[in-house]
Amino acid sequence: MTSALFVFQACYGTPQDFGLDVFVEGRVTSQSTGLPIKGIKVSVADHLQYEYTDDEGLFSFYTDRREQLKVSFEDIDAGDNGTFLKRDTTLTAIDEKVFLDIKLDDQ
Amino acid sequence: MFSSLKKLAFRQFRKSETNLHELNYLFWECTTRCNLNCLHCGSDCSKDSLHDDMPLDDFLAALDTIKAPLKHFTVVLTGGEPLLRKDIELCGREIRKRGMKWSMVSNGHLYDEQKHISLLNAGLGALTISLDGLKNTHSWLRNNSTNFSKVDRAIDLAVHASRLNFDLVTCVNTRNIQELKEIRDYLIQKGVKAWRLFTIVPIGRATQNPEMVLSDSQFKELMDFISDSRKQKAIDIKFSCEGFVGSYESKVRDSSFFCRAGINIGSILIDGSISACPNIDRRFAQGNIYKDNFQEIWQSRYEAFRDRSWTKRGQCADCSSYKDCLGNGFHYWHGDKKNVLVCHHEKLENAMKY
Repeated sequence: MTSALFVFQACYGTPQDFGLDVFVEGRVTSQSTGLPIKGIKVSVADHLQYEYTDDEGLFSFYTDRREQLKVSFEDIDAGDNGTFLKRDTTLTAIDEKVFLDIKLDDQ
Repeated sequence: MFSSLKKLAFRQFRKSETNLHELNYLFWECTTRCNLNCLHCGSDCSKDSLHDDMPLDDFLAALDTIKAPLKHFTVVLTGGEPLLRKDIELCGREIRKRGMKWSMVSNGHLYDEQKHISLLNAGLGALTISLDGLKNTHSWLRNNSTNFSKVDRAIDLAVHASRLNFDLVTCVNTRNIQELKEIRDYLIQKGVKAWRLFTIVPIGRATQNPEMVLSDSQFKELMDFISDSRKQKAIDIKFSCEGFVGSYESKVRDSSFFCRAGINIGSILIDGSISACPNIDRRFAQGNIYKDNFQEIWQSRYEAFRDRSWTKRGQCADCSSYKDCLGNGFHYWHGDKKNVLVCHHEKLENAMKY
């Protein structure tokens, strides 16, 4: 009842979070070898947010839920883990979470 | 007539809420370490805390006793300074994995762009940062000459994050009350949408400095400032829910005073104590996560919070506003509890006599 009708916050607390977001996770691999790629910068267009893939090519983050979400995958580590072409993906009609299986082409 | 009916309806609503006592707001005092040494600190936090940070797994075990959290159930990370925890992003992600939301109260000192991004990535949804004046007054109260510029940076980051429900809080004292208009202009210029004002509770280090506590007339000045600013609608300004303010109730807040401590607000404190808001006298702890099931304690205890009739003592015993106030904010009952520490209503009544 409270959460449906009233917004409140404790004296020394924060506002409540009624916002919607989406959990974006996925794996980045090489198109040619199928191996995971570490150190790929995964960023959200028009947004400060970014994350890097780990040793297994995995990444995950929460971000605003919007009608369209453009996510970019960019190799920025100057060949430390191979060199790959940048790729953009535009997501639409996203629910609470999405898993992206991204394959990058060799440069 | 209309006002009386409105009061009656609100009392009924409050009673119903108390009977339901749905938990939708849980403080986690995840650390009592702090990188500042504020003059008004109610918890006497310091750089070298007596307590170790609570291990995340210990907190999660307690959280996992909540089998069906409400849709907007929020865990509020507080301290100390939560950003001193190296694993704060992991804490947030584990909370989100459980279908719950999380937010944080911070002094802003460590809130830089990299931290901002990593917290958003971890699903932070709401944020409160403290700003206690313009540079000189803020630096005085925060006891730190560099924190103001760091808070300024944190504000710039937070106001541009559409995902964050963000507000600023200010502890009003005898120094910064003179510059509230300038602070308001500064916040509006920065793009801040919401600003919450407190007074300082005379507990912890705040008891040692008379400059912390507003006089009766200064308190009325504060209420008038909030009331006037709300009419201008340039920023969502409000008085915190710390106490009952009589005829100012509808002028300084969105809804009437209702201390929800122990009714909708719970806490897990640094030593595992189960209570309500962290600034409440720790002797009101209802159990401890290291020996009790959190959910069972929430459902079956909290008698002193849900039946406030014990507060009808001291100056509250004969007060004509008691039914609307119920002994003011719960955190104003400390020590021997023979009387409420501060009565905002009385301060206003006194000020109006002058």
